[in-house]
Amino acid sequence: MTHDPTFWLLARASGLTAYALLTGSVLAGLVVKSRPFGRAVKTASVTDVHRFLALLALGMLVLHGVSLTLDRTVHMPVAALVVPGLSAYRPGSVALGVLACELAALIVVSFSVRRKIGARNWRRLHWATYLIFAMATAHGLAAGTDSTQPWAFGLYLGAVGAVAFATAWRALTSPTRPTPVPVRERST
Amino acid sequence: MYRIVIDRSLCSGFGACAELAPEIFEVDGGGLVSLRVGTSSDAAVLDAAAACPMAAITVVEEEAA
Repeated sequence: MTHDPTFWLLARASGLTAYALLTGSVLAGLVVKSRPFGRAVKTASVTDVHRFLALLALGMLVLHGVSLTLDRTVHMPVAALVVPGLSAYRPGSVALGVLACELAALIVVSFSVRRKIGARNWRRLHWATYLIFAMATAHGLAAGTDSTQPWAFGLYLGAVGAVAFATAWRALTSPTRPTPVPVRERST
Repeated sequence: MYRIVIDRSLCSGFGACAELAPEIFEVDGGGLVSLRVGTSSDAAVLDAAAACPMAAITVVEEEAA
């Protein structure tokens, strides 16, 4: 019987898509804070995009994990999706992906308990997004079988470059002061 | 009439509210949002409350005095 590649293709595609969505969410989050487009882009809309992309990334990670367990190429047990280090296939780099995913889920959940933990702790926890992004990049490069392909490497390079640029932009602009809106110019 | 309450412990100064209802919300010198007025009949306060990334704005509908 020949090996059906459906789940293997799905696992690779969903992993790369999750990474692209995570990158998009990080960029949108940085735009919320640094407001590079001024009043041309509504903060509320960017916040919605930021949250939506983060949720979509988590959903895509579920698909990534499920398709890996259903495929026979790398023999991924379900426990290895939850406990870092249990994967026989590249255990270190898979562990990075598992930890990044769990941390990302924690950050998404933290919004619901922001009153309980306080805004300051919520913001501190949000800084872990940079760690998640770094871990996801390392996981993708080291565990992904497409990483040697120029297009895949280009995706990682582009994502890291875009996040680095947006982070530099944020650091160079006032972090807390939004563009003042003259009262008389309010649009309806 | 809407009574507006800002939870300043949650406010992180994103300014989405001041963008949508600048007559009511303003970002103060400390980078947090302050109220220009305590109550308003402008339905924009509802949009502003919904737009707050931290959900720090509560709007209570009250009977006009």
